[in-house]
Amino acid sequence: MEQAIAVRPRRRLSSYQIAQLIVGVLFVAFVVWRLYQVLIIEAVYGPDTWVRFAMSGLIIGSVYALIAIGYTLVYGILRMINFAHGEVFMAGCFAGYFVFEILRGIIVNPVSGLSFLDAFPIIAVIIAFIAGISVSMTTGFSLERIAYRPLRKAPRLIPLISAIGASFFLQNAAQLMFGPQRRTYSNPAVEYLDRNKGWIVNIAGKDVQVAYTGALTIVLVLVILGVLVYVVQFTRLGRAMRSVSEDKQTAALMGIDVDGIISRTFMIAGALAGAAGVMWGIHYGQLNFFVGFLPGIKAFTAAVLGGIGNLPGAMLGALTLGMIESLGPAALGLDFQLKDVIAFSILVLVLVFRPSGILGEVLTEEKL
Amino acid sequence: MTPHIRKGITTGLIYGVVVIFLFLIGIATVLKHDTDNILLLLGLAGIVAGSSAAKAPTKADQGMGAVLVRGLLAGMVAGLLSGLATYVIASINQTGANMRTYMAQLSPEAAVAIALEQSPFVGALAHLGVLTGSGLMGAGLRWMISYTGLGQLVSGQWRSSSAQFTTLPAVKATISSRVTRYIIYGLLIVAALILPQELNPQLRFAMGTVGIYAMMGLGLNIVVGLAGLLDLGYVVFFALGAYTVGLLTAPIPHHLEWNFWATIPVAILITVMFGILLGVPVLRLRGDYLAIVTLGFGEIIAVLIRSDALKPFSNGANGLPGIKLPTMPDLPALPDWLGGAITPEEKFLYLILIGVMAAIFISDRLQHSRVGRAWIAIREDETVAQAMGINTLYYKLLAFGLGGALAGMGGVLFASRNQFVGPESMTLIVSINILSLVIVGGMGSIPGVILGAFVLKGIPELLRELESYRFLAFGALLVVMMILRPQGLWPSARRRLEMHLEEEPPLDELETVPSGEAAR
Repeated sequence: MEQAIAVRPRRRLSSYQIAQLIVGVLFVAFVVWRLYQVLIIEAVYGPDTWVRFAMSGLIIGSVYALIAIGYTLVYGILRMINFAHGEVFMAGCFAGYFVFEILRGIIVNPVSGLSFLDAFPIIAVIIAFIAGISVSMTTGFSLERIAYRPLRKAPRLIPLISAIGASFFLQNAAQLMFGPQRRTYSNPAVEYLDRNKGWIVNIAGKDVQVAYTGALTIVLVLVILGVLVYVVQFTRLGRAMRSVSEDKQTAALMGIDVDGIISRTFMIAGALAGAAGVMWGIHYGQLNFFVGFLPGIKAFTAAVLGGIGNLPGAMLGALTLGMIESLGPAALGLDFQLKDVIAFSILVLVLVFRPSGILGEVLTEEKL
Repeated sequence: MTPHIRKGITTGLIYGVVVIFLFLIGIATVLKHDTDNILLLLGLAGIVAGSSAAKAPTKADQGMGAVLVRGLLAGMVAGLLSGLATYVIASINQTGANMRTYMAQLSPEAAVAIALEQSPFVGALAHLGVLTGSGLMGAGLRWMISYTGLGQLVSGQWRSSSAQFTTLPAVKATISSRVTRYIIYGLLIVAALILPQELNPQLRFAMGTVGIYAMMGLGLNIVVGLAGLLDLGYVVFFALGAYTVGLLTAPIPHHLEWNFWATIPVAILITVMFGILLGVPVLRLRGDYLAIVTLGFGEIIAVLIRSDALKPFSNGANGLPGIKLPTMPDLPALPDWLGGAITPEEKFLYLILIGVMAAIFISDRLQHSRVGRAWIAIREDETVAQAMGINTLYYKLLAFGLGGALAGMGGVLFASRNQFVGPESMTLIVSINILSLVIVGGMGSIPGVILGAFVLKGIPELLRELESYRFLAFGALLVVMMILRPQGLWPSARRRLEMHLEEEPPLDELETVPSGEAAR
């Protein structure tokens, strides 16, 4: 029986696959019909609006990318969904807020009442980022030591419950400590950090504003992503992380301190989330104790969309999700309230039709 | 720095942060700003810190001197941190600045209380002193109990005497006899019948909530505990049941004013259908993916109900007021010492109790049948279950549908009792609540779920003053339970081989034949 049989076997589609096919066709038909309606027939939105949506999609996508990478890194290394990662993001956001508030209170020039924040905006922003990143790193590190490390060997349900509990705890702690009210980041009072100002670009006869803070966000995210890719691909730490995510035991046999690498992964994930938190504050401005919940879930959706465990996948998935979330309600003629429904529907659809994501899941065993 | 000194310092750092955290979340207010209470808190924290630091990493560090040094260090470091925070808080308070814009719990009264009603510096010193002293004490206690053999002596005595007691023939016979079991069931049933009469309205409402959540917990127990399907979107079925009864009996928006009892079969039908519809695409997924997908579904339904797009159907964010109560038969009045006439609220509580008992009956019978065994097989190892010829998809759908139906019933009762339902009650938190009471109570264990419902729903209802700390305690409880006792408070009789079994002897439960005897 050495030769392969040259006959192609006839495959009968299982009822499940037929159902999948039907749902898929229905869904695609719906999308195409709505797009046709909105774009061709009604043509409510001009190109300037689309550009605006696309840009805001890009911005939110980059923020999601930073958080999504955190999810993907932790999943790659521990096979565990870090439910509390949204709260790590929230912690960084608050840290940046407090830095700005403190610096706003330091009066540099008693005569004009100029505060440190407005006098040295760049330094203030840098300090905010450092604070946000440090606080998030600490939160991520403590989370791992307290809630996840003791459960390393438990079946998968247990760390998930622990993560949910930790997420609740952190949210509620923030609510108790800082109060439930919404706060606004008071950006330094400089032109290029004003949330509402930007470059004016003329598209198809109308003026579209490219927000300064938005552009800053995108540029910073690109820089951070570049650094991260460098670290993961070209440094010893990155190699150790990749090997631990591939096979913990062999990595330990090779002399890698697995616990240390796991801690460091959580810290890197935390650092990224903290940076994302400060960027969120600078550009979107609003935060309260609940600010981490939705971005957390959406970033997780993005990570799954791109293929969990897969770093470029997380970035791609996040950008895709951001664009779909931004362009979706307008393009499909749906209510803007349903923006979140679109994100969750994508999650459901991806997991049902292509659980390994766009770029494929990077897991060695434990398949479907 | 030798490791044991480092342990003392790090323990002190951790507990110092814990004390500061407690102050920031408002424990001063909980303790009514009373200096004595705060001193007590500090003392307790110090004892725990000292005791924790005293745990010896190696045998060499068990000597009294080393233990006391560690405890002292821990207390001192914690005291330094706490004292520093006290100094800062009290000083800022003295300048009259309002700290509450940033730290909501640091009111002027709280700041004064934290400083123990002294000047900032003296208050800080007091913190340092109290924590150091109690740290030393805690270490001393730990040394006495663990490292002098005193603790082992006492626990050894207790264990041997309790073992001697329970192995007495008469005692063993009583514990395991069927008559005892029936007597206890009888007592429980009598208690269940009488209790609604004796409780005041607030407790009655709390018990009703516990009952509803117990019912839903039993439903989720079938899904998660027996079949092993982690469902984070359980609130969907709850919402379906509640909105079914709402849309069918409330005057707006559809003007269908059905009888309550007529809506029950409809609710069951809808939830089961939805369970199957939801289940077919989703049940092929792996554990955590299933969790996230169900979570996504839950959020989708919540947003859809609340949205304006579906407002004509579900009345959007305004909810559905005016849901009808069930029309109950007139029951004869009981004698006065049992509470007199039976009010409608009491009748409703009886209805809930009937529902819970029905759920218990269904769960128990299913658990000890082929269906239940199929579920447990699927939970333990799906591939092997398939190899044994179990149609996993069918049984999974069955679990989903049944669990959904129970949640739907819970939703029906919930909506009817409040006579109102709105999208605010259809949040992820409900799912997490029910999941927690299944997990904390014991997955797959019926008495565990009931116990979980009492603990996680009953106690917060009774401790209404501490309402704002509810989720904090909740989250902490989940984490702590998972680390210390993942099999739950009252694990199922079937041994959970994945968890902590080496350390945990089997519980002597009333339902099991005491096979534990052989294992001992």
